[in-house]
Amino acid sequence: MAPIIELRNVYKRFGDNIIYEDMSFGVEAGETFTIIGGSGMGKSVCLKLMIGLLPYDAGHVLYRGKEVGDMNAEELRELRRNVAMVFQGGALFDSMSVLDNVTYALREHTKMSDQDMLERARECLDMVGLGYDKDILYRMPASLSGGMRKRAALARSIAIKPEVILYDEPTTGLDPANIERIGHMIRKLQKELGVTSIVVTHDMPIAWKCSNRVAMLWQRKFPHIGTPEEMQANPAPEVHEFINGIYHEDQD
Amino acid sequence: MSVRGPFEYIGKEVRAGFDWAGGISLLLGRALVRGVQRPWGIYDVFRQIVALGIRSLPLSTLMGVFVGMALTWQFGEALMGFGAKNAVGSAAALALVRELVPTLMALTIGAKIATGITAELGSMKVSEQIDAIASLGADPIKKLVWPRLMASTVTLPLLNVYGNVLALIGGAFIADFVFDVPAEYFYETYIDELYPMDYISGLVKSFTFGLLVGLIGCYQGFQTKFGTEAVGISTTNTVVATSVAIIVFDFVLTTIFLPVG
Repeated sequence: MAPIIELRNVYKRFGDNIIYEDMSFGVEAGETFTIIGGSGMGKSVCLKLMIGLLPYDAGHVLYRGKEVGDMNAEELRELRRNVAMVFQGGALFDSMSVLDNVTYALREHTKMSDQDMLERARECLDMVGLGYDKDILYRMPASLSGGMRKRAALARSIAIKPEVILYDEPTTGLDPANIERIGHMIRKLQKELGVTSIVVTHDMPIAWKCSNRVAMLWQRKFPHIGTPEEMQANPAPEVHEFINGIYHEDQD
Repeated sequence: MSVRGPFEYIGKEVRAGFDWAGGISLLLGRALVRGVQRPWGIYDVFRQIVALGIRSLPLSTLMGVFVGMALTWQFGEALMGFGAKNAVGSAAALALVRELVPTLMALTIGAKIATGITAELGSMKVSEQIDAIASLGADPIKKLVWPRLMASTVTLPLLNVYGNVLALIGGAFIADFVFDVPAEYFYETYIDELYPMDYISGLVKSFTFGLLVGLIGCYQGFQTKFGTEAVGISTTNTVVATSVAIIVFDFVLTTIFLPVG
């Protein structure tokens, strides 16, 4: 079966800073694919390439076999209706209430009534553990804590029921209970709705628990891709040191 | 330093200037093409008119009244020397309506509007909110640039009309209390001096300034790099770019309208 999202021989640079060189990997429909790697290496860039938020210099980025770089505005809109992204800092719209944030994509893509949207927003906020606060729908993002903002952003991304969700460090800044909750939600979306998830994270427990496959970004490509068990048994020093958090003083 | 140094520097600056002008033109083109497509986002445009325009009323009031008073006083003093203080209304009218109110209004209110837009969009860029809009399938140019561009283009001419009325009131006050020229007489000579083209030239100027202000504000906001410091840099660049653009376009429009008037 062809991958739902595939990056083939991709090259990307920002000025003199080369991010990817001949980088390739594919994500199967319905799997949870986790991307790990050092900070500042370009893991988030990868997610942005997948939905056309950043252009690539060469190679192919394919969604269901269709070149993302060649998509027109309407095709990109359709792509982004099916592939949602959860940003690192949440990226909630400051000028809108939580309700307006969560229902943003519904208003863009559907003709749902206000009542239906309200119910869908409540359902999504319940899923991310914010349903306990009855007033949250009408609160502004500035009044939420960092963790709440992140979870509200998660609710926004699942509201439209996308087939793929891209998570950019979804658990950073959350307490252990909420990290577990997000991990549970990713697994639940995969099992019950068949959602494909691509997760960029540094949180190794979450990576091992949620992923079908893990890929490590190293030297501008993904030389190590495998199941959590394969990755944990991978003898390559860069993999072993990264996943076990080994630090050598002589590296400074 | 090599002989090539200064030439390289000048070349870089010229190229950066062309890049900037090209980027701004491209943004204007995109905003116009996408803005006129349905849905027109009328609610967003009105929300921006309220945010940019109504909140600028106190400053516009201050500007209008004080410009009218200061200019009338200056002209009054000069005309008194020739024993022609009664002509103060005629003298002040053209300078205020054709030049000072639209230009000063754009330099103060316009700069305020442009920096506000840059700071808002720059913060949204830094916190990935602009990417989030795109990732949710909406068009950031349609959602963010078009309403702000429309609002600033509509707002500045309206504030210009408002400023003109207040400048006239301020001038009449000074004429009456300082130079003993009755306010009614000041008003009559002021209005008599003006032809429709004088109002039109002032309005065309403020319309153009409004467009420039919105465009520069949005462009600089979208060009913001990473980090909160970048928002500050973009905002400062906006003040400079807006002021220069207003002064240059004021001269261009004056040279166009003077022969017509």
